[in-house]
Amino acid sequence: MTWSRGATVAAAALLAAAGAHAQPATDRFAPCASCHGEGGVSPNFETPSLAGQHSFYAITQLFLFRAGRRADEQMTKEAKAMSDDDLRAFSDIIGQLPPAAPFRPDPVDPARMTRGAALAAKHRCASCHGGDYSGEKQVPRLAGQREDYLGKALAEFKTGTRIGYTQAMNEALAGLAPSELPDLAHYLAHLGVVAPAPTR
Amino acid sequence: MLTTLRRASWLRAATLGIGLAGGAGLALAADPPKEEEVPFWAIGMPKGNTLAPVPSFPIPTPVDKLPVGKLKLPPGFKVEVWAGNILDARGLRLGDQGTVFVSSLFVAGKIYAVTDKGGKREVKTIAEKLFLPNGIEYYKGALYVATPKEITRYDNIEANLDHPPAPVLIYDKLTGEVPHGWKYIRVGPDGKLYVPVGAPCNICAIDDRHAQIRRINLDGTGEEMVALGVRNSVGFDFDPKTGDLWFTNNGRDWLSEDFPNDTLNHVSKSGNKHFGYPFCHQGNFADPEYGWGKNCADYAQPAQLMGAHVATLGMRFYTGTMFPAKYRGAMFIARHGSWNKSQKVGADVVVAWPDDKGGVAKVEPFLSGFIENNEYLGRPVDVMQMKDGSLLISDDHAGAIYRVSYTGS
Repeated sequence: MTWSRGATVAAAALLAAAGAHAQPATDRFAPCASCHGEGGVSPNFETPSLAGQHSFYAITQLFLFRAGRRADEQMTKEAKAMSDDDLRAFSDIIGQLPPAAPFRPDPVDPARMTRGAALAAKHRCASCHGGDYSGEKQVPRLAGQREDYLGKALAEFKTGTRIGYTQAMNEALAGLAPSELPDLAHYLAHLGVVAPAPTR
Repeated sequence: MLTTLRRASWLRAATLGIGLAGGAGLALAADPPKEEEVPFWAIGMPKGNTLAPVPSFPIPTPVDKLPVGKLKLPPGFKVEVWAGNILDARGLRLGDQGTVFVSSLFVAGKIYAVTDKGGKREVKTIAEKLFLPNGIEYYKGALYVATPKEITRYDNIEANLDHPPAPVLIYDKLTGEVPHGWKYIRVGPDGKLYVPVGAPCNICAIDDRHAQIRRINLDGTGEEMVALGVRNSVGFDFDPKTGDLWFTNNGRDWLSEDFPNDTLNHVSKSGNKHFGYPFCHQGNFADPEYGWGKNCADYAQPAQLMGAHVATLGMRFYTGTMFPAKYRGAMFIARHGSWNKSQKVGADVVVAWPDDKGGVAKVEPFLSGFIENNEYLGRPVDVMQMKDGSLLISDDHAGAIYRVSYTGS
């Protein structure tokens, strides 16, 4: 995984120089796909799927990577090579990827699903992420995201190593114990894909 | 204290049966979540409502795509792009040597200095990685910067735009919350620095450190309360004739599409200095929860209602000579535009004329055209008069600064 991500850096830099917005969408997503998977369905550990993600969320994250405000060595390198137009172009492409089933999800654990659903309801995740956890605008889709990535992101918000423009997500997790996060990730990862999504 | 307030506020929401979760078909656990777990603006949101603050786009609108051609002004006025590609452009202040200082908020966290080089604008970032540095003021060679927590000073700033000095802390007795925590600061004709501290919520009981406008000496000493019961002021100026403070105030959310109004307020030297929050809104409407037992006539009355949810922000008295004489002494006021309303309103600059009795005689539209198909093309934040009498207007949505001049044709 590290190898393939490293290769992507060079590809993205080339692409940025060539003007990402001038190429067909599938070609333009190619450098992202080498880590984030064909169609944005990630096969890689702790690397998020981009399928069904919102362009507003994507450009906000690319901006935060580029500004050094979201820590990820590879993504920061890639984003630093991008112009404003590149950020717009990549996020537009990402925003066009349809939602898709996750790559080989772990089997559903009904007990963990129940616990995760209770946590999501109690802590009102849906108040921002939507009743079916599909997100909107700058708020990311969570349903069907890779479970290991969700676990990583939740842990980063919980420990404060990841913040957005403000600490809204960090505060949102204030009432959750670190030990509860894996069940929440398991629940969200399986929503709408191998388990029916709740309705708004 | 805050923890207590938040808990009380949560209990209120629970009592009213207001829930924000989709429910997911599961019973809520017995103990309620802490209020920190929902964003502050969502407290009080009716069930099923999906309105939310307008998210900030992290890339400025390219200059050739700015909506100059769609903007409307009274006859004889002209609008042009003065500077573009200024991400998150918010507060505007003018240095003695003509530098325009620009603050920003969540997205950029920077202070910019814009200088005119032979008709072209050069933009420098003079401070960055600041947390919500919305409040700026230029006074006697120094730039003052206010975050929700503290106020600092950069001395002799215009001579050091390429290598700004280390900031000097002058005041750290601000409450520091994010909700309504970002500042608007000005030095008044009394030589004191005015700084608001908003209510840390949409609507809540407040202590004696919130919902107020204070003034301090420039070294941070001598704190005094100037106005109380002020929910969230992000704009004020001083009447050049009387020296009186006039301020804008953002009304509470989630009561109704059309109610209550934002207000323009006048702090007279001898009058009532409590403007009603959280008990009364717009001078005549008792809050459904906090207003019981209160008589709104006991509070200072607004000089002017400015529209519901329009987000009335920066304002300036016009003292120039470029515009027709009728504008001299009038207030130019930026309305950022609504989020807590289905059909967007505001996103314009209006003019208010004071009467000679401490109130407002009339309000007229000035600059508009920033709303198209219920989407924003721009959102005015602050207004500032240039030395030639033209008016600069910042737009944090597009990351641009517009200049309005009077040509008479």
